[in-house]
Amino acid sequence: MSTVAAAHPAPVGRPAQGDPVRRWLGVEQSPRVVAFAQTHTGRACLYALAFIATLPLLSVWAAALSVAAAWAATQFADQRVRILLAASWGLTLFEAVRDDNDFAEKIGYVVEQEHWTQLSAETLAVGALLVLMAGLWLAMQFVIRHPACLLARRPFVCMLGAEAALLVLSAPQVDHGLLRVLVWSLLVVFTPFVWFFPLAIADLRGRAADPPAMQLAVQRPFWSHYYLPFGKGTAYLRKHYSALPREQAITQIKGVKLLLWANVLLLISQALTWFFSDYLTLPRLIHAIDAFVAGQPLPIATGWAVLIYGSFRYALQIAIWAHLFIGLARMTGYRLPRGSWRPLESRTLMEYFNRFHFYFKEILVDLFFIPTFFKVFKQHPRLRMFTATFMAAGVGNALWHFMADIQLIAVDGLWSAVSSFSSYLFYSFVLAVGVGLSQVRASMGYRPSSTLAGRIYAFLFVWSFVVLLRVFSDGTRDHSFEQRLQFLLSLFGLPTGIPL
Amino acid sequence: MNPEVCDTLRHYLLDALRQHGDTQDMTDSDSLFLSGRLDSFSMMNLILFLESRFQLSFSDLEFDVEKVDSLDAIAALVQAKS
Repeated sequence: MSTVAAAHPAPVGRPAQGDPVRRWLGVEQSPRVVAFAQTHTGRACLYALAFIATLPLLSVWAAALSVAAAWAATQFADQRVRILLAASWGLTLFEAVRDDNDFAEKIGYVVEQEHWTQLSAETLAVGALLVLMAGLWLAMQFVIRHPACLLARRPFVCMLGAEAALLVLSAPQVDHGLLRVLVWSLLVVFTPFVWFFPLAIADLRGRAADPPAMQLAVQRPFWSHYYLPFGKGTAYLRKHYSALPREQAITQIKGVKLLLWANVLLLISQALTWFFSDYLTLPRLIHAIDAFVAGQPLPIATGWAVLIYGSFRYALQIAIWAHLFIGLARMTGYRLPRGSWRPLESRTLMEYFNRFHFYFKEILVDLFFIPTFFKVFKQHPRLRMFTATFMAAGVGNALWHFMADIQLIAVDGLWSAVSSFSSYLFYSFVLAVGVGLSQVRASMGYRPSSTLAGRIYAFLFVWSFVVLLRVFSDGTRDHSFEQRLQFLLSLFGLPTGIPL
Repeated sequence: MNPEVCDTLRHYLLDALRQHGDTQDMTDSDSLFLSGRLDSFSMMNLILFLESRFQLSFSDLEFDVEKVDSLDAIAALVQAKS
């Protein structure tokens, strides 16, 4: 599996020149500031700032635990693995016992269906996580002893196979009562790790692998409790670790800057919400489609405003969360590239896909693009590139989003869960074709114009594509593909023609 | 190291960097992918180039980005496989 970074400029060691704003933005290039950041007082200031900047985005406990773990991991570098392991799994278990947590909520659906009241969903989540932790550990030991086994060679395929097996075993047609509740609990907690664990196995296969304890420590690391590996696996983290005090200080200053930038974006997002949602009473996209389906469509201009604002708001949300996660990882000493890097400057769809949600793209590249690229159409470079890109942006993208809502299979049944996913499937297909063609054009030597007119054209092209597709990709399952398509057609004043 | 191979590779990599808006200097040992100067799609284009220009063959199981991370590394790979 590859470990590749985005096209982000590497830090340079010379002081920033120019106006005060530029100097402030390049504060990590000041030797005085970097020297101060290496003192006890400087470190205390950095971590206090990081804690304050994290508070608007996380609960007080999660913020305190994350920042404290980041501090401890750099302060006691010889105990880093133990600290990361305790923090990541401690936070996972801590969040699993809180009310309204994602795991317990998803487990709760089957608990209710089976009328199983002896154990709470939270207890089941914690128990399943402990079983999973032991299972992952044993799997790694097995891979170390049997490096040629299927799990070592095809970890992602094995994880998908295990996911499918758990899904079958948790079907109401297969079992009932406690057994179904237990299998379902395991499936719910297992699902996010499908996107993490293959990276650990891939690293264990290498010669310079980190030990299993470290692999386990970065399975859903404490800096990003999410379905996506922000920072990828240990191989990537190892290469981006700032070991020297000066490097580490620069990384931490950049971490604080990113956390503060996340707060600025949060403020912008809140200001936009106040202006558009509260002051102009512009509805959300889902409500605009609701109104359309109910036969009370919004005026066309309002519909467009809803769609454009919704797309921009989503881009802001992705950037805010990505900056939070990467900011915390940098506070832990990992000089990781940003998770979202000036997506508005994208000149091609391929560039947009790379810039908008970098770590999502990276996991799709690792698990879908590269295996496909090395296997198919070796004699047909363009077809090979297109197919590999399609597998990542289309198949991988759709699968990730489908698995993130795995509870819908228990709630609605498999067929309903798949059919309500049709609009996202359409989105994935069109995105994959667009990104694939963009990638093929790039490999054929096409270069976007760098003139002002060329840049404006590229911006309008890329973001028109993104905004139009937003109708199908808002993540909700409340409207069918046909309803969304009719809504989109109505924005162009076209007769929809399809009965609702 | 064959200077012709190095020149061909340098020309290709500098062009790839320029396409990414990166006009900084590149030394033969500079990290290109792990440092973030080039992205994963650029790496795949590089693989296509190496396969067509130098008849190299890669497989996903043995592939490691470090093998193509710098001009030096790529040149060594080309020399080892040719």
